[in-house]
Amino acid sequence: MRNLPGLFDVRVKARSIAYLFAAGATLGLLTLAFPHSEEVRDVPLIVLAGVAYVIAAVVWSGAERAREWHIHAALVSGTVIISLANYYAGPSTLYPLLYVWTALYAFYFFPLPEAAAQTAFLAVSYAVVLAVQDADMVVVRWLLAVGTPLLGGLLISQLLARLQRQARALSQSEERMRMVLDTAPDAFITLDRDGYITTWNVAAEQLFGWKKQEALGRTMRELIVPPEFRDRHDARRQALIDSDAPHATESYEVEFQRRDGIRFPGEATVSKVEASGEVFVSGFIADVTEQLRRQAEREALLREQAARAEAERVAELVGGMQALVDAALAQSNLAGILRDLVAQVRGVLDAGEAAIYLADESGRLSVGASTPGEHAGGEEFAARVAESRAAILGKDNSLIGVPLLAEGEVTGVLVAGAQPPREFSGEDLTLLRLAAERVGLAIAHARVYEREHRIAETLQRSLLPDRLPELPGLEVAARYLPAASEAEVGGDWYDVIPIAGGAVGLVMGDVAGKGLAGASMVGRLRSALRAYALEGHDGGLVVERLNRLLWTEAEESQMATMLYVIVDPAASTVRWVNAGHPPPLVIAGGKPRFLQGDASVPLGVLPFPTYDEVTAPMEPGDTLLLYTDGLVERPGEHLDEGLGQLAARVSEAPEDPQAFLDYLLDTLVPPGGAADDVALLTLRNLPVPEQFSAEFPAQPESLAPIRSMLRRWLSHAGADDLEIAEITTACGEAATNAIEHAGTGNGAHFEVSGRRDGPEVELAVRDHGSWRSEREDDHGRGLELMRTLMDTVAVVPGAEGTMVSLRRRLGQRGGDE
Amino acid sequence: MNQDLIRVQIEQREDDVVVARLTGELDISVAEKTGRQIADAVPSPALGVVVDMSELEFMDSSGVSMLFSLARQVGSHRQQLRVVAPPGRPVSRVLQIVEFGRAAPVDDDVDSAVAEIATQRASQPPRG
Repeated sequence: MRNLPGLFDVRVKARSIAYLFAAGATLGLLTLAFPHSEEVRDVPLIVLAGVAYVIAAVVWSGAERAREWHIHAALVSGTVIISLANYYAGPSTLYPLLYVWTALYAFYFFPLPEAAAQTAFLAVSYAVVLAVQDADMVVVRWLLAVGTPLLGGLLISQLLARLQRQARALSQSEERMRMVLDTAPDAFITLDRDGYITTWNVAAEQLFGWKKQEALGRTMRELIVPPEFRDRHDARRQALIDSDAPHATESYEVEFQRRDGIRFPGEATVSKVEASGEVFVSGFIADVTEQLRRQAEREALLREQAARAEAERVAELVGGMQALVDAALAQSNLAGILRDLVAQVRGVLDAGEAAIYLADESGRLSVGASTPGEHAGGEEFAARVAESRAAILGKDNSLIGVPLLAEGEVTGVLVAGAQPPREFSGEDLTLLRLAAERVGLAIAHARVYEREHRIAETLQRSLLPDRLPELPGLEVAARYLPAASEAEVGGDWYDVIPIAGGAVGLVMGDVAGKGLAGASMVGRLRSALRAYALEGHDGGLVVERLNRLLWTEAEESQMATMLYVIVDPAASTVRWVNAGHPPPLVIAGGKPRFLQGDASVPLGVLPFPTYDEVTAPMEPGDTLLLYTDGLVERPGEHLDEGLGQLAARVSEAPEDPQAFLDYLLDTLVPPGGAADDVALLTLRNLPVPEQFSAEFPAQPESLAPIRSMLRRWLSHAGADDLEIAEITTACGEAATNAIEHAGTGNGAHFEVSGRRDGPEVELAVRDHGSWRSEREDDHGRGLELMRTLMDTVAVVPGAEGTMVSLRRRLGQRGGDE
Repeated sequence: MNQDLIRVQIEQREDDVVVARLTGELDISVAEKTGRQIADAVPSPALGVVVDMSELEFMDSSGVSMLFSLARQVGSHRQQLRVVAPPGRPVSRVLQIVEFGRAAPVDDDVDSAVAEIATQRASQPPRG
């Protein structure tokens, strides 16, 4: 359909005025064909008609290019021609009626002011004609000729104004409707009764990708309906049109296809419309992809919530088991694990009783842990479970049991019984099996661990001296505190080794490896060190040989820090070798002093490191402290802080060695226990008294301590090395006699005492037996030695026993042979 | 603990001499056992044994008795015993006092003691 020009299009005006000219001219000519008055002058009128035809032709042909002022000019020229025609026709004709056309035209086509101006020109023109004609009734004629068209024109103008308003209102309404449709979020489409698209709004353009001008005149079927739905589309459309209801509306969820082939789900709301006898279909189409997605999301969310609720329910059920499994994996205490497991199983399954049976190496089951009370038929049932190697129910489903498996072996059986009897469900069985699967391995690990731990601990304990040697003039004490976690047995060790000549070797070491490997390495180092120490090597060499042992014989790269300290009370010295260990501490006069200097690398780091012995004085009354890093190392603290704290505690600690160590443990180890093992070893060099008296068991083993004591005492008394050796030898002979005489009876003792008497020392050995001059295989050599080495030897028999008194003056025998 | 008091190290020299090096202290608690240990270490083809006491810290009359007894045992196998005890050491003083030199020679160092035994062999015809 083509757009028609509007009512006030300038072309319409031009053509209308051309008709008007032609009609006027024809009318004028027709009047001449009838009999008319003489005064009518035919020739000018015919000319005027000819002019009018010409103008009509020109305006008609130029209508396409006409302008508004052309029309005004034509109208003015028309008025002039009519006036001339009136003049030539004379007053008797009806030519003035032609003015009515002019005025009506003006009022019809022009706005009121312009029409009024044309009418005024008309009035003036006619007035001039009337004045020239000298007619009668001039005023009446003028009023009739002007008033009639004026009144008619005004009426037309009013009518037109109203029509225009209505037309404008109608077009605005259409425009608004168009805008509403174009801004509508949904596609709006109308189809005529044959299915051709007649409306296609902006949303439709955007939704389907087809422009309005492309869509109009085509069918919806071919444009946006996917091929497989086209028949259905046709059927529905036809059904809608054929329906009896005048405004039937239906809604469909259907799939549409975009211009680019992409399909989407849409919701179409279609209505049958009957207007001005026409039937068509209008429809809104909305893309519901997003809506469906949101709906799907909502549904998914709901499903998820439901699933989560279900999961939480199950989780709550399994939670107890899970917590237990975690605990089981973290713990090393088998008894604790089993106890917890039994309690959890009972709680989770709401069982009256539960028990765990553990299988020994031959597969025999025994109760590892159980809830208190009787367990009717439990053991028999457990054996059945172990045999079947599967989770089973028994005794009318009131017993439930699962095997604990580790690497395919049945290591135990978990049994629960309902009390009072009820039936366990398949779900209970699944749950228990789940727990058993996870716990089985943990229990197996814990059992292995426990066994290894026990072995390692036993081994390590056996490596620590169970009783420290009694050393004359010296007091030693030791503590061993395993780490709080009890995770693994540490590789700390200490040892006290009496060395020939009255010295004592103190060892404090820390092997890096833990568990069995660490403990066994401690064992090797310990016995090797004892051997090397007794061979009389200097400390540096002893440690070098230990390093060699660790370097060549350790299976993996094992490392150890170690202190080897030799306290020589006779010389009042301490000599030490430090292989990467925290420094020993000497407390002299209440003031702590770390024995620093010459700390070398730990054992096992280098193949041939050099370890040097360093010597410092250690007077009677001084205390020595050895320790492992567990005492001074705290997480996040510098070692110096720990050493500083140790020094501070040491200076305020009690003197007695046992109390001294207890004080250090109390003040330095955190309340929950230390993070690492702590080993402590202290030695107090007791002040040497002016005189002494000590009792010893009548056994050969007492001789070495007696010599140690004598050497120390003699040294303090001012004896030189040779004097110490000789006096000690003589006194040893007397003590050997006392031991021999006392027999080997239990509880037999003898006493050794000593005192200074001016420049002389006097030693006495008293026994409770009877004196015999010679020992069996002695051949008198003991007595001979005593007499030679001492100034005087007196044997005083008595009722209670025998006393041997030995005296010697110090500093008198230079080179005496 | 008295096992730790003394240590015996046996060394078989090329020239059929056994050297027993004693360290630690030798008193009645260990004397008998030490003597047995040395005697057991001397095989019958050996020419003799040197007891090295240069590093021994202490020896009393029970040690001396052990040495006398060892000398008798070795002699009965027609083997020689020599003791090394450098002068100035407590052990050599004890040996001096009990005149151990009457039972077996006392030398200042191990090498000369071993050499002495080897020399004795050179002057003797080999035993069947």
